[in-house]
Amino acid sequence: MQKRNWMTRELVLIIIVVAFMLFLSVSTNFSSRSGIYSFMLDVSPTIVAAIALAMVIFTGNIDISAGTISGFVAYTAGSLAKSGMPLWIFLPAGMLIGMLLAGLNGFITVKFKVPSIVVTLAMNMVHIGFYATFLPQSGWIENLGTNFTWFGRGRFFELIPYTFVGAIAVAILFMFIMKYTKFGMSLYAVGGNRRSAVYSGINPDRTVMKVFLVEGLLLGISAVMKATTRSEVMPSVFVGRELFFIAAALVGGVSIFGGVGKIVGALFGAMLVYLLSIAMIYLGFQDYYQFAIQGGIILIAVYITVIDVEKMKKTFRRKKRHVITTGEGE
Amino acid sequence: MSAEAKNKKPFQVSHQLALLGVLVGLILLFGIIEPAFFIPRVFFDIFAIAGEIGIMALAMTYVITTGGVDLAVGYNLQMSAIVFGITFVNTGNVVLSIIFALIVATLGGMFNGFIVAKTKIPPLVTTLGTMYLFRGISMIIAGTATYSGFPDGFKQFSTFKFFNAIPIQLVYFVVLFFIMDYFYRKGSLGRNLKGMGFNENAVRFSGVKVDRIKFWIYTLLGLLCGFAAMVYLGRLSAAKTSMGDFMNFQVITAVLLGGTSIMGGVGSVRGTFIATLIIGVLHKGFSLLNFSGNIYNFTIGLILIFSLILYTLTEERRKVKTRSRRDQLESQTAATGDSGSGTG
Repeated sequence: MQKRNWMTRELVLIIIVVAFMLFLSVSTNFSSRSGIYSFMLDVSPTIVAAIALAMVIFTGNIDISAGTISGFVAYTAGSLAKSGMPLWIFLPAGMLIGMLLAGLNGFITVKFKVPSIVVTLAMNMVHIGFYATFLPQSGWIENLGTNFTWFGRGRFFELIPYTFVGAIAVAILFMFIMKYTKFGMSLYAVGGNRRSAVYSGINPDRTVMKVFLVEGLLLGISAVMKATTRSEVMPSVFVGRELFFIAAALVGGVSIFGGVGKIVGALFGAMLVYLLSIAMIYLGFQDYYQFAIQGGIILIAVYITVIDVEKMKKTFRRKKRHVITTGEGE
Repeated sequence: MSAEAKNKKPFQVSHQLALLGVLVGLILLFGIIEPAFFIPRVFFDIFAIAGEIGIMALAMTYVITTGGVDLAVGYNLQMSAIVFGITFVNTGNVVLSIIFALIVATLGGMFNGFIVAKTKIPPLVTTLGTMYLFRGISMIIAGTATYSGFPDGFKQFSTFKFFNAIPIQLVYFVVLFFIMDYFYRKGSLGRNLKGMGFNENAVRFSGVKVDRIKFWIYTLLGLLCGFAAMVYLGRLSAAKTSMGDFMNFQVITAVLLGGTSIMGGVGSVRGTFIATLIIGVLHKGFSLLNFSGNIYNFTIGLILIFSLILYTLTEERRKVKTRSRRDQLESQTAATGDSGSGTG
């Protein structure tokens, strides 16, 4: 019952995404070769980061500092690439930095039992202050060579960017992880009902810590994907991007209360959020509408989830009452 | 009853005393590094800055005590200031502009309150959404425009100084503080707020209209955001979309540093008052030492994390204390056979 219910939500989302694409390609030049290329190029970092955020939200936590963590990753990757390092050095280094910073968020959340949203909000501010104060030239690195940009700019068949293939690969990998591994199951368990997770032998603190580390790793990949499309790196560009990631996960049907959601949802949620943002530009609106629309999307998506949760609770309660009344033997 | 009072008091007093100590220490520290800090005109500037944050932080204490939070305050202030600016530029009527700005800010607060009270969306997420929504609205209205040229009469709202030194913000802040502190400690409102933070359903079932209280405290916070916007605007004398950035952090930091639990149920308006002054001292001190705003934001972020951690640690210690005290009482009552008086 529950499973079929959620599947429809993802299906609806996919239909909306496809319809939106059709609408854009009829009314604008979205379906041109360059339009599709730039769609795939721009959406791939968001997909990876939305998956990262979705996993954190599965456990009932959230990370507002995801955008600024990406900025740190981009700076690290950029400065390593500036000194001539190849991708297989600066990508793992970036992932490591991501894990370190997200791990710090996780550590404070778990160790001091404070809501992750407040911790990461504060961290967001610490990171922004850190960029401007302690990084040389506020972290601005320019004139990066092809050893940096080949990954972001390369494409298969002159059309499909490497990063898009990477993003899809990450999505498929995490779909499997969420479905078939103990780790994936434990995320839902911790987010759904912490106490029963404890009774079934899961350590919630350790699980939350792990999920933050995984999130950091994915944010590392996402930030490198985003940064390598340009030959300069500026950490402050990433400030505020968490809005897209969170909106994508929530639109994708991930419940803000934890325990419910799918990676596929995050994947198509990222596409929808991105399509909405470029639709504004294609249809000739100003960039200023971005914030208002994303904020509105978050509210609407969460409201739909709340209604769903309430409905589920109600049917559950009715069933229970039914069992009780029949059990009593009227 | 008596046991509870004995347990609670040392904790609260010690926290506020510690805050006062930090406040005095910081003032002395900045004064020693930069003696100009003690010039009255400079020194009282602390209250001008603290006043603006404090007006919102006092109402935020109510909201956080119920277990909610409002991340949108800074952008509500921004939206209200922009509305003031655009109305003034178009009509030239200050009174009308103030009324419009206050109405918009109150509506913003009402919107938050309505969603929090009527739907089951958690306040953190609600206000995260409305934070971006308000920011977007003021960006749509203003774009990159800057509104200025407000009349001097309006500026007197926030630049007037008693005895040429004490800024009028201090008066707003102190008066509001006494009102808010009174209702927080005396009467049923404060008790209900704390009860809602501890166990909302229990309060609901005891006949309190929880949703209505929630709606009105968010609305009050919205109104005060509008008021703070007017005060802030008089000092800056130009409305633009960058004002109010990071304001929400400062307000929340003031409340949490003041000893209010982010989980709700425990709090103190007095703590917020002192913590707001600490933030004002930091702001003024940093700007005197020519530190950039980024270092200030960085520090505020660290303080926020620090106060979250500190609260958990003291709370843990208090729990241990209460537990040992309870054990002690139980063993006493077991020995004497007097079971009624200890637990109340």
